[in-house]
Amino acid sequence: MTPPETASVTTKPAGAGTGPGGARTRHNLGAASAPLRGLAGLAGLVVVLQVLPHSGLVSGDYLPPASEMARALWHLLAEGAFWAALGDTLTGWGLGLAIAVAAGLVAGIVIGSVPVLRAVTASTIEFLRPIPSVALIPVAVLLYGTDLRSVLLLVVYASFWQVLVQVLAGTQDVDPVAEDTARSYRLGGWGRVRYVMWPTALPYVMTGVRLAATVALVLTITAELVIGAPGLGHEIAIAQTSGAVPQVYALVLVTGLLGVTVNLMARAVERRALHWHPSVRREG
Amino acid sequence: MQRRVFGLAVTLATVAATAGCGSSSSGTGGSASSGSGGATQVKVGVIPIVDVAPLYLGQRKGFFSKRGIDLKMVTAQGGAAIVPGVVSGQFQFGFSNVTSLMLAQTKGVPIKSVVNGVASNGKVGADVTGVAVKKNSSIKSAKDLVGKKVAVNTLQNIGDTTVRESVRKAGGDPSKVKFVEMPFDQMPAALDGGQVDAAWMAEPALTIARGQGARVVASPFAETDPKLTVATYFTSTKLLKQKPDLVKKFTAAMTESLEYASQHPDEARQILTSYTKISGTVLQKLSLPSWPTDIDMASLQKLASLGEEDGIFGDKKPDLNALFS
Repeated sequence: MTPPETASVTTKPAGAGTGPGGARTRHNLGAASAPLRGLAGLAGLVVVLQVLPHSGLVSGDYLPPASEMARALWHLLAEGAFWAALGDTLTGWGLGLAIAVAAGLVAGIVIGSVPVLRAVTASTIEFLRPIPSVALIPVAVLLYGTDLRSVLLLVVYASFWQVLVQVLAGTQDVDPVAEDTARSYRLGGWGRVRYVMWPTALPYVMTGVRLAATVALVLTITAELVIGAPGLGHEIAIAQTSGAVPQVYALVLVTGLLGVTVNLMARAVERRALHWHPSVRREG
Repeated sequence: MQRRVFGLAVTLATVAATAGCGSSSSGTGGSASSGSGGATQVKVGVIPIVDVAPLYLGQRKGFFSKRGIDLKMVTAQGGAAIVPGVVSGQFQFGFSNVTSLMLAQTKGVPIKSVVNGVASNGKVGADVTGVAVKKNSSIKSAKDLVGKKVAVNTLQNIGDTTVRESVRKAGGDPSKVKFVEMPFDQMPAALDGGQVDAAWMAEPALTIARGQGARVVASPFAETDPKLTVATYFTSTKLLKQKPDLVKKFTAAMTESLEYASQHPDEARQILTSYTKISGTVLQKLSLPSWPTDIDMASLQKLASLGEEDGIFGDKKPDLNALFS
């Protein structure tokens, strides 16, 4: 099946030096203050974290000041185990997301283009979708123990629905006139998917991928934390049981930063893949 | 600094490599192969706590490799992940407290204990677990726990059973103690914040709480039986039948490890830094358990009858001979 692969592979180069000139300059003007405001918010958080333990509202034993978290983080960065854990987490996230996106796209396009299939599966999807992934932990452990496959099971399950539902919505949104026109011009099944359905569904797909990317990260870390599969979540669990409070917060900070990075990346990919789309052009 | 940059580079390389093969290897993750160069790979499901120090020490000393066992520790969060892992064959062996093993047996889970794991050190006031209260608490002894809220890590397990026994021995009514469930690591804070009146803690939480001024009012393990067998290593009855030689080798290696750890407590303490993040004064001060090579059946009888009294096994009775000998 090629559509999902072309989707994920071509998105990056496709957008590479494009974008209407006028939009770009305006975008830059607006962008200058947005990161600044974001940084101000972050700085405020750091100040609160630094002051709170000294104020006596919370004990420094359980919420160490920001400076101590930073020191713990700095020590962590020198440990090989930390980088190995980060690698494990990113592997679980990346693989899980890739599988979920590929499966979600294929399933979504197939189900979305066959009305009967869609009618038959609708209730099943709505039944399976709200099942929390963490409820599958005992099953995952029984099947795969505590290795990467357990993590993948949870991650794929959680993020698959995000993609599938968006793809289904996207395939429903096809303009009937465009569809009829394509038929009149005798476009084949593949041609209609490629030139009519795909451009319509792409914005939905991108939203699905962006949501799935965050969900996948949350589930990767949850799985590591609860099951004990190697990764940042597991490091957090070990630090917790060892009573190493600053390390716990340092690791939590890392996962937070990871979340921000993932979101920024997903947005960048979205922007490039949809550079032609009115929503992005207007946004700039 | 160089290591940080190197680490970042390695991480990025890993990610790049995975991204490269992401689309092709859908579904199947890398599964551990068994047997390389004659050694059998053996996975042991453990909780990263003080109790399993002999296992790590034995691995470092080569007690396992010289018997052809390529030991791989899989650290899980609690027995909930270990027992199913052992039964399904994901791990060959697992570490679990004896009450959980008895519970599993009464529920028909096919497991069998193969070698001792850890025991109480018998020192009242300095045992591996203890009931701690705040410095200025009115609770002075186990008897005062009556009517109070006591935190344990798991309800209906070894913690509340032995705490009840401490209360009983001190002359209080154990049925009037209120137990709440909470992970060990959250107990020092909960105690400090007054959410609970007392907390039954294991190391290192106990030492951390003591460092903040908490007092130990009871040592339930030592008070139940000074030689109480607390946890053992177990396997599935299936593996026991299929690979009796492997089980024998593991038992022999583990026995040697337990002996070595008993004779070299400082090395046992030091090995903690390799698989936990315990450090500093906590590492120096925490109480070590005792690591006898034999299971103390008398203590298990006592624990089982206490469990029955509390009704944790339902209407069933654990078969200790089938499980532990």
